[in-house]
Amino acid sequence: MDGNDQTCPKCKTTKYRNPAMILMVNACGHALCESCVELLFAKGSGACPECKCALRRQNFRIQLFEDPAVDKEVDIRKRILKEFNKRQEDFSTLREYNDYLEEVENIIFNLVFDVDSTNTNKMIDNYKKENKDITMKNRNRQSQEEIELEELLEAEKAQQSEKANSYVNAELEEKKQKHKAREKLIDELMFSDADAKSIVASHVQATAALAKEQPKAAAQAGGPVVKSSKFSSGIQIGLRQNTSSFLPIPKQQDLPLFHYSAPVFDYNGPSPPAIEVLGKLKYFANIRAANATERAGGYTEALSCCRALQEAMGGLFYIPQSGHKTAVAASAEETDDMETA
Amino acid sequence: MKLNVDGLLVYFPYDYIYPEQFSYMLELKHALDAKGHCLLEMPSGTGKTTTLLSLIVAYMKAHPLDLTKLVYCSRTVPEIEKVMEELRKLMNYYEKEMGMEQNILGLALSSRKNLCIHPSVSKEREGKVVDGRCYGLTASFVRARHAGDDAVPVCNFYEGFDAHGKEFPLPPGVYNLDDLKEYGQAKGWCPYFLARYTITHANIVVYSYHYLLDPKIAEVVSKEISKTSVVVFDEAHNIDNVCIDSMSVKITKRLLDKCSNSIQILETTISNMKENDNRRLEKEYQRLVEGLRDANIARETDMALVNPVLPSEILEEAVPGTIRTAEHFVAFLKRVVEYIKTRLRVQHVVQESPAGFLRDIHIKVCIDRKPLRFTAERLSSLIRTLEISDLTDFSPLVTVSHFATLVSTYTKGFTIIIEPFEDRAPTVSNPILYFSCLDSSIAIKPVFNRFQTVVITSGTLSPLDMYPKILDFHPVIMTSFTMTLARPCILPMIVSKGNDQVAMSSRYETREDTAVIRNYGNLLVEVAAAVPDGIVCFFTSYLYLETIVSSWYDQGIIDQLQRHKLLFIETQDAAETSLALINYIKACDNGRGAVLLSVARGKVSEGIDFDHHLGRAVLMFGIPYVYTQSRILRARLEYLRDQFQIRENDFLTFDAMRHAAQCLGRCMRGKTDYGIMILADKRFSRADKRSKLPKWIQEHLKDTNCNLSTEECVQISKRWLRQMAQPFSREDQLGISLLTLEQLQSEEMQKKIQQRAQAA
Repeated sequence: MDGNDQTCPKCKTTKYRNPAMILMVNACGHALCESCVELLFAKGSGACPECKCALRRQNFRIQLFEDPAVDKEVDIRKRILKEFNKRQEDFSTLREYNDYLEEVENIIFNLVFDVDSTNTNKMIDNYKKENKDITMKNRNRQSQEEIELEELLEAEKAQQSEKANSYVNAELEEKKQKHKAREKLIDELMFSDADAKSIVASHVQATAALAKEQPKAAAQAGGPVVKSSKFSSGIQIGLRQNTSSFLPIPKQQDLPLFHYSAPVFDYNGPSPPAIEVLGKLKYFANIRAANATERAGGYTEALSCCRALQEAMGGLFYIPQSGHKTAVAASAEETDDMETA
Repeated sequence: MKLNVDGLLVYFPYDYIYPEQFSYMLELKHALDAKGHCLLEMPSGTGKTTTLLSLIVAYMKAHPLDLTKLVYCSRTVPEIEKVMEELRKLMNYYEKEMGMEQNILGLALSSRKNLCIHPSVSKEREGKVVDGRCYGLTASFVRARHAGDDAVPVCNFYEGFDAHGKEFPLPPGVYNLDDLKEYGQAKGWCPYFLARYTITHANIVVYSYHYLLDPKIAEVVSKEISKTSVVVFDEAHNIDNVCIDSMSVKITKRLLDKCSNSIQILETTISNMKENDNRRLEKEYQRLVEGLRDANIARETDMALVNPVLPSEILEEAVPGTIRTAEHFVAFLKRVVEYIKTRLRVQHVVQESPAGFLRDIHIKVCIDRKPLRFTAERLSSLIRTLEISDLTDFSPLVTVSHFATLVSTYTKGFTIIIEPFEDRAPTVSNPILYFSCLDSSIAIKPVFNRFQTVVITSGTLSPLDMYPKILDFHPVIMTSFTMTLARPCILPMIVSKGNDQVAMSSRYETREDTAVIRNYGNLLVEVAAAVPDGIVCFFTSYLYLETIVSSWYDQGIIDQLQRHKLLFIETQDAAETSLALINYIKACDNGRGAVLLSVARGKVSEGIDFDHHLGRAVLMFGIPYVYTQSRILRARLEYLRDQFQIRENDFLTFDAMRHAAQCLGRCMRGKTDYGIMILADKRFSRADKRSKLPKWIQEHLKDTNCNLSTEECVQISKRWLRQMAQPFSREDQLGISLLTLEQLQSEEMQKKIQQRAQAA
């Protein structure tokens, strides 16, 4: 058995002598057997017998790998990757992404081998502060790669069940047909008056024809239809866990500030007087003045007057171009043709 | 003689030609004209090699722009040598006829083991060791060190080749392995590198399948072969298995332990280097930041570690940041190895797809798919940078890195099977991870895509329509030729029952039945009494062979047998088997006569010929089905069913029958030869089995010979042997199975050939 050479460093029990021995590891990456853990950490916390660092009993886990150092590394890695979970989509170039990946790798390396731990921890804290929102966002999102893998697995599963069904059905069908053919033959031999030889011959022919047909049918049925996981428009069928329940908040700092510029209207006519000068030009003389209640709502007579003027003058100079007109006419004719056709 | 094949002038180095050789040339010419692939079956012993070579050489001469190169792939070194001999004969004939030197260069290529002339390295026995030591003497960094310090040994032959060999190309001619070595000795150049360098401009290259099919080797050796080449796979009846083997990886516990050791070596080397000379690591790092490829070109001697097939766009990309520095990469490798170790600790069989594996490795040890894909390339880069000259220790790690790259590159057509123990010994824990390729078309696809014509040929390719399916290609020509014979010189018979009318079969249910075993024994004894000289018997497996022989011993059949002939047995030990073979040949030569008991799919059934008196009869005991309980086979069958609509039973029968045909073909190596072929199993007479035999055997398998008992079989054999023992001269063959030029050109013969072409 592999792992027979595993030994508890404290009590020197080996897996060979005690097959039930389970090695456990804590954050420091040193292994201890289960009974030693019970003994040494009866109070719930204590020091690692090898490196003397303080450990809690709850944090002991069963050792997965042969090398406890790998256990430790994976542990740290999982913790760090929870924070450092930027994706390639978050970077503008591949180069930057790779640099980022290397930095993460560096941090993990430092933590595992206890190199420069104060600086590293500071770096982690900084990063946490700076990238809080991205981290939160990415936590709920799967990377493109993971989605791809999931889809593959899903497709495989669907295919497998489909296949199993289709083959079972095909076999059943085949059996049934054989059975039917045999019964038919016996019936005919029993009740018909024709020559027995010819009946048998025709039966043989029929079965041969069937056998020829069968592989064809099998070939047709063979390509199992993969259950599509998308609508034709490309939208996923069913809810996927990876799409977070609410939309991501759009990034705001990136957009330029809004500048108002007055719209320029093309009236195709003489420009109507501006709203401010209407009173001066005595336009209001012929208009009902707004009453008190209307004024309270923000309405003034200038507004309706201005609009009426704009409408009156708009389009006064508009001369339809001849080419344009014919084109319109032609297209109209065309549609007519289409209808008659 | 000079032939006119469909308007092409072909020089054929013999005075006589078989009619089927001429038909073969016609079909081959059509395929070359169409620039498509073809599948040709012609019985062994009818001169396939000569036919192929003479037609293709003639075609190259006539259309030098359309066809520039012939790549001839064969299986073993002796077969390569045979091809070179035929080629030499052809070239000599050309010289005699044309009266001048021919401007054609043909050469054979084999591994370093067969080509090395270095005084001490060539003494090594194992191929891997030779490769490793060669690398230690010729790697670019070793040579750079030698330039600074004369104490560092290098290979003088390689230095010689590097200094002068590239300017003076090999003069035209035909070079087999020995010629290359001789030439290398005379010039002081390394024959291996000379041959590899010459491949690019040679007209005819003869080498083993692996140089083209194994992506790890093909990348290095065969990359620069131009598109306008014709590739021939000879003896290609097993080509699908070669394809699958070249893409599959097997990882055992021991291999992983060795990996851990190599990782430790890497670690210490890196830390040493960091202290002493950090420059090289820095340089590598810079290079990796830029991208893997550009710095990698033109380092031909550093080929020892190469990547399995990768879509080339990935190689253009830069290495992901997670494995860019050396320490990180070593930690990464450690995690991969430890992860696989945990996977091997299973109690029951696990089968999963690459996608499932990738997801699991991501969850368990946080390894993404992308860095996994770069593992092989990154490892070779690291080993180069660290200047490790002894590569033999690292081969386990290289295997694991190939596995990592393959598993992350291909999600279809592969499966992972982890078996905690062997089926035969369920108590002994021996965990193995099989990364098994299920689709033989993956490895051969680049070959079909790259070259304009690929010829797949063998003596036994029946049923022909299976190969295009499992290799996934569309041949323009697919033909099976029969052997024209002046006399019925093969006698295939299906013996289905013993004298006591008990059916003979190797079916699982009747395997242990003493009546069946006794009947098999009686059949062999009676045949041994009637047939002179050598008899070869094939069993379905070693296990079956052993059980049968032990019960024959109990039943006294062995004693009876030894009254007539000596008895030899093939075992799984190669040395033992070759000793048995030598003595078998001795016994046949001096007239004592011998019986060889061997196994279908074994060494004897593939590639050892029993011509003339060495094999007057072949007995096939049972149908040689593969071991169907193997999970790898199950997975492959399933895949074939889903992807190519091949039914399980069809494939199993196809596989069994091609091996049976291969065994039967052992005794027939030419037209003057004759032999009895006995198929001792009731099931052979069924139409689905019979129709899968090669055409040239089927032709002689009459309906009356399909359901015989032992007694009848011996009677027929006796009569037939008397007939065959009559003197037989060339004159008897002339005009029927052997033609002179005039006969070939006669109207009657042309008509016959036309008919045959239409029938095919």
